[in-house]
Amino acid sequence: MRLPRFDYLEPANLEETLDLLSTHRDDVKILAGGTDLLVRMKKGLLKPKKLISLKALDELSYIKEENGVIKIGSRTSLSDIIHSNLIQKKAEALFQACEKIGAVTIQHCRGTIGGNILQDNRCHHYNQSEFHRSGRQACHKDGGKICYARDEADRCNSTCQSDGATALMAIGANLTLAQKGGERTVDLDNFYTTDGIMPFAMESHELLKEIAIPIQGAKSAYKRLAYRSAIDYPIVCAGVLLKPSDTDKNKIADARIVVGAMGRAPLFLAKASSSLKGKNLTDKDAFKNAADISMNSAAPFAVHNVGATLEYRCDMVFEMVFQALEQAAIAVKK
Amino acid sequence: MSDYTIIGKRMPRVDSRAKVMGKAKFTADLKLPGMLVGKIKRSPYAHARILNIDTSKAEALPGVKSVVTGKDTEGVKWGVFAYTRDQEFIQTQKVRYIGDEVAGVAAVDEETALKALDLIEVDYEELPPVFDPMEAMASQTELIHEEFPNNVNVHVNIDTGNVDENFEKAYYIREDTYVAPEESYFQAEPYAIVARFDHEDCLEVWCPNGGPHMKSKPLSNAFKIPLHKVKIKKITIGGAFGGRSEICPVDYICALLAKKTNKPVKIEFTREENTIATRQGHAMITTHKTGVDKDGKVLARETTCYMDGGAYSSTGPIATSVPFLSMEQVYRMESVRYNGYRIYTNKPIRGMIRTHGRGFACGLDTQLDMIADHLGIDPVEMRLRNCRKPGEYTSTKSYVDSCAMDETIHKAVEKSGWKEKWGKLPPFHGIGIGTNSVQTGFPMGIRGGSQSFIKFNEDGEATVMSGVVDNGQGNDNMLVQIAAEELGLLPEDIHLVSADTETTSSDPGSYSQVSTFVGGHAVQIAARNCKKKLFGVAAKVLKVKPDTLAAKNRLIFVKNDPEKSIPIKKVVRISLLNFTSVNAEGGYWPKVDMTREWVKNPYGQMCEAFSFGTTIVEVKVDPDTGQVEVLEVTAAQDVGYGLNPLVLEGQFEGALTMGGQGGMLTEYHEWKDGRCLNPTMLDYKLPLACDMPKINNIIVESIDPKGPYGAKEAGMSIAMSAAQGYSAAVSNAIGVYMDSFPLTPDKILTAIKKKKQQSEKK
Repeated sequence: MRLPRFDYLEPANLEETLDLLSTHRDDVKILAGGTDLLVRMKKGLLKPKKLISLKALDELSYIKEENGVIKIGSRTSLSDIIHSNLIQKKAEALFQACEKIGAVTIQHCRGTIGGNILQDNRCHHYNQSEFHRSGRQACHKDGGKICYARDEADRCNSTCQSDGATALMAIGANLTLAQKGGERTVDLDNFYTTDGIMPFAMESHELLKEIAIPIQGAKSAYKRLAYRSAIDYPIVCAGVLLKPSDTDKNKIADARIVVGAMGRAPLFLAKASSSLKGKNLTDKDAFKNAADISMNSAAPFAVHNVGATLEYRCDMVFEMVFQALEQAAIAVKK
Repeated sequence: MSDYTIIGKRMPRVDSRAKVMGKAKFTADLKLPGMLVGKIKRSPYAHARILNIDTSKAEALPGVKSVVTGKDTEGVKWGVFAYTRDQEFIQTQKVRYIGDEVAGVAAVDEETALKALDLIEVDYEELPPVFDPMEAMASQTELIHEEFPNNVNVHVNIDTGNVDENFEKAYYIREDTYVAPEESYFQAEPYAIVARFDHEDCLEVWCPNGGPHMKSKPLSNAFKIPLHKVKIKKITIGGAFGGRSEICPVDYICALLAKKTNKPVKIEFTREENTIATRQGHAMITTHKTGVDKDGKVLARETTCYMDGGAYSSTGPIATSVPFLSMEQVYRMESVRYNGYRIYTNKPIRGMIRTHGRGFACGLDTQLDMIADHLGIDPVEMRLRNCRKPGEYTSTKSYVDSCAMDETIHKAVEKSGWKEKWGKLPPFHGIGIGTNSVQTGFPMGIRGGSQSFIKFNEDGEATVMSGVVDNGQGNDNMLVQIAAEELGLLPEDIHLVSADTETTSSDPGSYSQVSTFVGGHAVQIAARNCKKKLFGVAAKVLKVKPDTLAAKNRLIFVKNDPEKSIPIKKVVRISLLNFTSVNAEGGYWPKVDMTREWVKNPYGQMCEAFSFGTTIVEVKVDPDTGQVEVLEVTAAQDVGYGLNPLVLEGQFEGALTMGGQGGMLTEYHEWKDGRCLNPTMLDYKLPLACDMPKINNIIVESIDPKGPYGAKEAGMSIAMSAAQGYSAAVSNAIGVYMDSFPLTPDKILTAIKKKKQQSEKK
């Protein structure tokens, strides 16, 4: 399969990049590692007139700690994140998630954290060749009015399979979106629309510049399930954060449970999360209860569209959440 | 045996270096002057009548050099057998699956060719499709092929007699049904073809193939040109697994476009086309009814298999038989009745695949385990009591000469630690055994034999010509190894010309596992004939009798007095100066029953040798996720003689990957209304190197009396026993016999839950 024609732009710095974005808006797409974008372009799912490459923007490649916050430049390679001591020690879930993305070669040569967060939602009825999509009506995401994954659905049910986003939402990350003449910060919790066609609440002239993770004296963990040990998207995944109480180290002061690959966005499960407040870190029943609530809360969002049976994926929400909670609890106790 | 110099040694393959250095050229790498890009217009409907095709807009597009449709094919149809010619190279009346060919385009570049495809207007009348073989048989809607009632394409019936009587005598009888879906090859190299007509109107073709001579004859028929005018050329091939043996519509279309434009045309398949529009392995629903005596010996078996054949016949009669044959070869049965039905559906075409009998054979072993369980017999003992012994006849009257089935079981059992593990492993930890047998060849009529020609050059080096093709399994190396051994040369002294229909003689191809047995054999004979000529000349020089001579390390020497020697190069030069030929030929034709036919007469000598093997697999199942961790696999295979252990081990491991790790655990297709939802490597879960377990390879040698150096089939068969071993191990781990393959985590988890519920009820 070949790439459709496009103009290739390679701005020298952030300012030039934002200028170009502001000029071309919907006509352009950002090319970071290309592992998601180029595949979609080859399938004819996307035909941007221009691509803006971030190749020269080394200024967006960094990992640093400032005033109790971990800051990661959006173009930082997955490999850099995996090899960062800071991330390994203080953003465990992100480290564990990045390790699972693609394969070592993809992490090293191509994939960026920004690209992983902004990878488009997927659906096995949509991520197909033009030939595959011919001879039947177009689906919502493809410009039509039908959903092949859920009968009678009035909107797109494509699934967010980003490992990075699920982990980052669990550890309370926020994103800095830059545009010409300004920037804004948005919590990852509030970054998603409820439509799979354009899952991100982001304008076409905005650029994801930085990911910030507050260091909150908590421990996190990430678990995912796939059929293969590499080069495979998760069919269900979970990121959790456990913050012990300042007064009693064995008590959970706050928890965050996020389930991924089950809906249009990573799902922050408030009820399941709050069920753990005040519970003991060794309380397996509490973890099981939280995992159970997670499963019940996440299941209605999922459709059969990313391989494996739907029933299995729903069942596995419990497992992934439970395993992640156990792992995070062990980390807290250490 | 140990006095071989080159044979039997761990020799790195002659083609490895070029491949790992990226120097080997595959079809897609070819660039010929003036070459055009070809593309295929395919049906987006699973079943539809073609009302009209308008190519005028496409033809008018600048850069488009030719557009062909069914009108240009003169109604030529393809089928492996005269009675299965059901596929037009380009459809004129109906399309029968999503991907069926309706037109071809040649243009100056890919972009133009793709644009032209969009400009071809095809009017269809959609017809009700059918995707399930059982529904297809009962379907009241329009038949997929009107000449085939109930959509039954092939029916193979085999009955050895006494089945019902023996069931009467049986101590224990059980009947079980096993289901296995279709599978895809995922050759590393997507299909590609370059065709051109040269200045002598010869058709030259480069494409990955399972046998150049199997491609040239149908092309000669289709274009009504003499066989010598069809030149299938040698090119590096990235895998075949049976999926590239037949001619396919794209071969014809590419050649037709080349003919119309008088230019070379290249068509490269996308990964999706390679998955949906070449061949797939059959989906199967198989029922075995087996009756045994008190000792577990099989007295009677009745097997019925429904195979989803997809839209066209392909190798239908063979496919419908091979699963049965594998079963009858590996186990003795006093009596058996088999009914195999291959059914048309509106899905991609199913053909040969290395594990032709995956689902089938797998169910058979599972049932054997179930019977053993009931009778309180250890699965290993159950196999030893029923497995094939040398000197026996199969149920359909093939004599089995060499057979070390027992030895493969014993060696695999010992290496895997079966005795310490069976019944003693912790919960959700299991071990299982699978067996296999594959025929080395089957009657192939006029193309059943192979001939080789060897010429010596005046520098003492030799050129070996053979029709054998190397799909990636190491055939080129095998030929070089044999020639070097026999001629007394070093491998680097041999130049191989192979898989080229212009220069090499007819050959069965890398098909039915005969490359070494037949093709290698022919080279061995040719080399021996050549050596005889050299010895004649050398004997005169050395003043000894020719039969006292031997050749090794570029020297001809007296066996009992190795100091007395002469360089081969010198012998060649003396021969040429004395007007003596130093070239020779040799051929080998296996003695098979040529009256044996798949449907009409499925009895008689199938081939001269059968291989046998055992695979033992140890797994751990995660009871919470259903995921399987494979701890260790042991494969012991009776290969007759191991010509090159290094290559063999690669074949063993490839077979385990395809049949076991992938075939039994992760690989399967998903469909929506006849559309394949996972045609790519990302979504079809082929195992990666890092997914593979520890593998113990055990080469067992029975020295087949007919095979070259005693060698027979070696590479393909393990995929079958691997599938069985994997499923047996998982079944053992979870305590449930699985009857639906592959064993995906969801199925495993469901089985675990169900078992738990049942035991709680009790």
